[in-house]
Amino acid sequence: MDSQYIDHAMVLAGILFCLGLVGVMVRRNLLFMMISIEVMLNAAGLAFIAAGSAWGQPEGQIMFLAVITLGAAEVAVGLGLTLLLFRHHNSVNVDQLNQLRG
Amino acid sequence: MQQLWLIPCLPLVGFLLLVLGHGRCSRSVARLVGVGSVAMAGLVTLWVALDFYSAGAAQSYQVQLWPWFNAGTLEVSFGLYLDGLSLSMLFVITGVGSLIHWYASGYMWQDPDYQRFFAYMNLFVAAMLTLVLADNLVLLFLGWEGVGLCSFLLIGFWHQDPANGYAARKAFVVTRVGDTAFAIGLFLLFRELGTLDLPTIMALAPEQFVMGANRPTLIAALLLAGAVGKSAQLPLHTWLPDAMAGPTPVSALIHAATMVTAGVYLIARTHEVFLQAPDVLLVVALIGLFTLLISGFTALNQTDIKRVLAYSTMSQIGYMFFALGVGAWNESVFHLMTHALFKALLFMTAGSIILAMHHEQDIRSMGGLRRQLPVPFWCFVIGSACLVALPPTSGFFSKEAILIASWQLPGYGPWLWLGGVLGAFITAMYSFRLLFMVFFGPQKAHPHEPKGWQFHPPLMILGALSLVAGWFVLPTATVLPASPAGHPPTWTIVVAIAMPLLGIGIAYKVYVRHQWQGLRFVQWQKLRQFLFQGWGFDGMYKRLLLTPFTTLAQVNRNDMIDGLPKLLIQLSRFLHGLFSQLQNGQLRFYIATLASAAIIVLALALKVL
Amino acid sequence: MNWLALTSLMPLLLVASISVILLLLLAFIRDHKLTCWITCLGLAMAAFWAFADMGDAPQQVTPLLIMDDFSRLLGGTVLLVSLACGWMSYTYLETADEIREEYYILLSLAALGACVLVASNHFASMFIGLELMSVSLFAMVGYMAHSKQQANMTLEAGVKYMVLSGVSSSFLLFGVALIYAYAGNLNIDLLVAAEGPRLQSGYLVIGSALLLVGVAFKMSWIPFHMWTPDVYQGAPAPVTGFLAGAVKVAVFAFAMRWLMMAQGGYLDLLLLGLTVMAVLSMVVGNLLALRQNNLKRLLGYSSIAHMGYIIVTLAASATLGAAALSTALEAAAIYLITYASMTMLAFAVISQLAAQDRRFESGTLAHYQGLLYQQPLLAGALMLAMLALAGMPLTAGFIGKYYLVLVAVDSQLWLLLSLLVLGSSLGLYYYLRVILVLCKTPVGDSRLTLGASEKLLLTLLVAVTLWLGLYPTPAIQWVQLAIQ
Repeated sequence: MDSQYIDHAMVLAGILFCLGLVGVMVRRNLLFMMISIEVMLNAAGLAFIAAGSAWGQPEGQIMFLAVITLGAAEVAVGLGLTLLLFRHHNSVNVDQLNQLRG
Repeated sequence: MQQLWLIPCLPLVGFLLLVLGHGRCSRSVARLVGVGSVAMAGLVTLWVALDFYSAGAAQSYQVQLWPWFNAGTLEVSFGLYLDGLSLSMLFVITGVGSLIHWYASGYMWQDPDYQRFFAYMNLFVAAMLTLVLADNLVLLFLGWEGVGLCSFLLIGFWHQDPANGYAARKAFVVTRVGDTAFAIGLFLLFRELGTLDLPTIMALAPEQFVMGANRPTLIAALLLAGAVGKSAQLPLHTWLPDAMAGPTPVSALIHAATMVTAGVYLIARTHEVFLQAPDVLLVVALIGLFTLLISGFTALNQTDIKRVLAYSTMSQIGYMFFALGVGAWNESVFHLMTHALFKALLFMTAGSIILAMHHEQDIRSMGGLRRQLPVPFWCFVIGSACLVALPPTSGFFSKEAILIASWQLPGYGPWLWLGGVLGAFITAMYSFRLLFMVFFGPQKAHPHEPKGWQFHPPLMILGALSLVAGWFVLPTATVLPASPAGHPPTWTIVVAIAMPLLGIGIAYKVYVRHQWQGLRFVQWQKLRQFLFQGWGFDGMYKRLLLTPFTTLAQVNRNDMIDGLPKLLIQLSRFLHGLFSQLQNGQLRFYIATLASAAIIVLALALKVL
Repeated sequence: MNWLALTSLMPLLLVASISVILLLLLAFIRDHKLTCWITCLGLAMAAFWAFADMGDAPQQVTPLLIMDDFSRLLGGTVLLVSLACGWMSYTYLETADEIREEYYILLSLAALGACVLVASNHFASMFIGLELMSVSLFAMVGYMAHSKQQANMTLEAGVKYMVLSGVSSSFLLFGVALIYAYAGNLNIDLLVAAEGPRLQSGYLVIGSALLLVGVAFKMSWIPFHMWTPDVYQGAPAPVTGFLAGAVKVAVFAFAMRWLMMAQGGYLDLLLLGLTVMAVLSMVVGNLLALRQNNLKRLLGYSSIAHMGYIIVTLAASATLGAAALSTALEAAAIYLITYASMTMLAFAVISQLAAQDRRFESGTLAHYQGLLYQQPLLAGALMLAMLALAGMPLTAGFIGKYYLVLVAVDSQLWLLLSLLVLGSSLGLYYYLRVILVLCKTPVGDSRLTLGASEKLLLTLLVAVTLWLGLYPTPAIQWVQLAIQ
């Protein structure tokens, strides 16, 4: 890819990132929040790929693999927590988690 | 000299053992550890003294233990310094200290907090030893604060009675005033000389300071303020009589033999700085003189046996300050040692009497005890004789030396001598008043002498030492400057010996023969009240400082403009509440905060571009 | 990779092998004591190896990791903190109605992640280490989800930590991606590859800022601190100890490498942001702790303040320049080590108490009332920890604060210095409040006991705290060795 297009790719990644961020902030359902986090991670991954492509190096793709791996691991743990949350409160609404405050 | 570190370490180990074994060890074990650690420190002192004397008694040794922290040119380490002066102090602290601990192990036997008592006492001895052995002023200050802390803990030992707590707090706060001045003096000293290492300071001070200039005078004055607070001299003396609320062995150890002499030690240790400020030395002598006279007069009116001894201690330390001021450095330290011996003896004897009289401390309820309590009686006689400086007791040698040196001082010498002699007269009067009122006359109560092998032997040993110590020469001559030379006219010596005898005679007439009753101040109520309350210092401080403060506080209580601290507190509470509101526990709010903060950080970073 | 490089990695390999051994072991034997012993022994061996290697030449093991004295010293510290955490978890887990053994796998993985983070010289290994540590921590924070008493709080803490950490990791990654786009390689040192697209420096600036956001989240610098009190309060006490000790040390060690030791001028870009965060953390962190009633929450806020103090070293290294950089690094490393020791002491006491009565960690300070008379050893240790955190001389905290003040004065950072002093005085209030509660008259009887191994742990931690305060010279010499 030409270097002039890297800016475009980065802007795309940035927009995707912001969409994910807004999604995390707006959503009340824990599952959807996790999906939004995945969107943010993938946006970062996209940025990596774009940068790697601009430099003609494989590092970008390797980092993206790492990002996917991390996403998977986080989701695994996150789903476990979601299940437990559901078992306890019978819903996955995060707004009900406000016992710890002050 | 490598065994020097054992001396402060042994009582510290004793303290730790007693703290860790709290609730688990019996009284006998506590007694063994408590007394044993100080006794072992005494043995090590003897060993060190052997080494010291075999090397010629003129050397000084500096043992570096380990570095603590440093900043720029300031290097503070845990190091010990031994010379004639610190060795003399070591004798006093470990020697008299172990005897007092031995006595205390019997005195406090009935007390439920036996282990705690010895833990505090050991910590105190460790701190005091650190103070005298320190080779730099920061470590000395650490020991200084340590003894202040232990004094607080021990005065308020019986903390169930709030009056004891009040006395302890008063002691701490009053000495704190002195300690702050001391700390400022240290800062200034470091700024001037660039080091806080004692041997270096002693070497640099004569070179760097101009005699009589502002800087050494200021530094010496601040150091003096610290010494005045710790040694209970005017004007920071009000805490010592109230400190008698603690157990008697505490009064003997801390408020007679060791802690209150820390001020004298400090001035002797930093004598080079004081020599560069002769005005301050004159002030030292005057403070000593006034304290000596005022507390002597006050002691004449006290009715509590321990308070008489407390004022007497103040007075005798006044003598030591007096001696330092006139240039009799060696004599002052010598008097320190002899005073430690006989004052501890007097306090311990008083303790035996108090125990025998079922914790009665008012001397008006005592009388004629010399038949029932022979050993305390004779010990008290020996102690009083030393206090009054009758020949050939040790007290005689030390006090005579001070008076001789004071006459020699150019300028005010004879006037100061006159004050000292007047002080000797008053000392004789109050001490023998005490003796006669307690031991002579009709018996008013039935004493029961305390049983136990811990009571008599320490008293007897101290009595013997008080008698013979006069011939012992302390190795301080190589450390401290010599006193003014010359011999005063013989009539001065005769007067100096005669005055105490005159005082004893008057006391005898008034309190045994009950003649000359007009001399008893009983009739002069107002004057008596005034003298009884220590010349009204407490009252003056109350009117001058405390009452205006509390009045102002009362006035401001309803005032909205309450002063900066209150404002700060309210502000802190308000901000706390405000920020706590932000922690509302809502996850999405947290995320939003994170996002907005990220934007702000981004903005701040982009400012650079 | 040659043999030398492999052996220099031994501490990390040991920790990794613990997790593998435990995984296999748990398939056959379920014994809590055995598991705990293996973990603690392994962590102790790894820490010992790390410290024993000090003085050897630095080894660049693949472009990703560098095992120099810095990584050995701070890696060893992290391993010791993990060891303490594992040790104190034993009694805590014994009384928990929850599966016990898997906890130690998570702990060793988290320790491994922390060590990798400390040793990393490359953004990829930084990412791997950081995430390994974080994901293990998600599970550890939410561990007690089956116990009836604690389930609510741990779940809430776990969910909050996971979501917020995921968000911040995304920020971090995006930042790294932008830096990569600018530099062309993922080394921390900004050595731009010769040929390739020359991008505007805006990429570097924005990338560094986003990376700072990720780091700031983990370090709980205000305003990224919102998770700290809730997670500290909700997580099981030993896990909170790990969070407070190892995570902070590891992340700041990486921050030291990235900001102070690497070339690239990151610090100049971020200095303004860092200063603002320092000011806010020192003041607001202490203010928030003032009237807290839950001890773990109070310690959470206090850790915010402490991490604010340590930013002073970062600011100082910017002002001092290359010549006196070592002073700032030294101060930061010493502060980390002393902070770790005091924090672990405090949390060891809380774990011991919470092991017997969960209200000690979830309830108010009133539960601690009069502890001095019921359990003098525990109360004494907690008092020492409070005094050390306040910065009392003769404890480790004094040495740390002293070096901070020294560095601040050297670089004439008067604003930060005065806020440091102000913050410390505010801090004194709430630390002394805890001590006051301990000394009050106790209400009712207590049936608290203290076992032998716990006593040993407490004694060791107390000894370290006092030793660092009284005789810090060997530690300081090691630190100086570690700073090249």
